[in-house]
Amino acid sequence: MDSFSLDCRELQAYQPNRYPFLMIDHVDEVAPGQFARGYKNLTLNEWYFPVHFPDGPNMPGALQLEALAQMLTVAITTLPGLKGKVTHALQHTVRFRREVVPGEKFEILAEVLSWKRGICKGKGTATVNGEIACEADMMITIPEILEQYLPRAKG
Amino acid sequence: MSNKEKYDQVFVESFSVSPDVLNADFVYQCVPQWDSVGHMAMIAALEDTFDIMMETEDIIEFSSYTVGKEKLKKYGVEV
Repeated sequence: MDSFSLDCRELQAYQPNRYPFLMIDHVDEVAPGQFARGYKNLTLNEWYFPVHFPDGPNMPGALQLEALAQMLTVAITTLPGLKGKVTHALQHTVRFRREVVPGEKFEILAEVLSWKRGICKGKGTATVNGEIACEADMMITIPEILEQYLPRAKG
Repeated sequence: MSNKEKYDQVFVESFSVSPDVLNADFVYQCVPQWDSVGHMAMIAALEDTFDIMMETEDIIEFSSYTVGKEKLKKYGVEV
C-alpha cells in the first residue's frame, strides 16, 4: 500500500481526538499498517504551558506519550476499513529523555510492530532538534475488532 | 517437552499462575490476567508454540483450559 501525507484537517478523520487533546499537527508520511511520522509544533499558546509550569513551561510527559499514541493510531486506522475507528490504550512503557519547551517542533515516528485481531503493538520515538525527547513501547486496541474474538464472559 | 507441558507453560506464562490451578475450573476471566488482552496474548502464544493459526470461531470458543485442549485437536495438536 502506498504511503501518503495528512494535513491537520485530514488527519482528524483517522483519529477522534480534538482540541484540547489533539496532539499531532501533521502527518508527513503514513504507510498504513507500518508506520506514521509527523509533528506537533509547540507555541506558548498551548493550553497547558501556563500551568505546567508557570515558571518553567514544558510539555507534560503524559501528553508527549499521547502524541505518540495518536500517531500510532493513524498508522493503523489508515488501513482499509478502519478509518474513523476508535482506539483505546492498553499498555504503554515510556522513557523521557529531555524537556520539550515552547517554540520547539516535536517530531514523532510511530512504528507498528504487530497488528493482529484488534491489538497493535508499536514503538514510538519523538525527537526535538535531532535529540530524542521520549521513547515508548505501546499497545493499543480497536475494541470493536478485539471484541469479535472474545469468549462469552462468565455468568 | 510434551505437548501437555507446552500447553501448561503457555497458561502459566500468559496468566502468571501456578500449574496447580490449571484444571476444569480454569475458565475465561477466572483470574484478572485472563481478560481480553490476556486472551489474545495466550492465543498468540499457543499459535507460536504449536506453529498453528487458529480460526476466529475457535478463538471465541476457547473459553477454558479444558475446552482449549479440544480446540487444539482440530490443528493436529494432542495435549
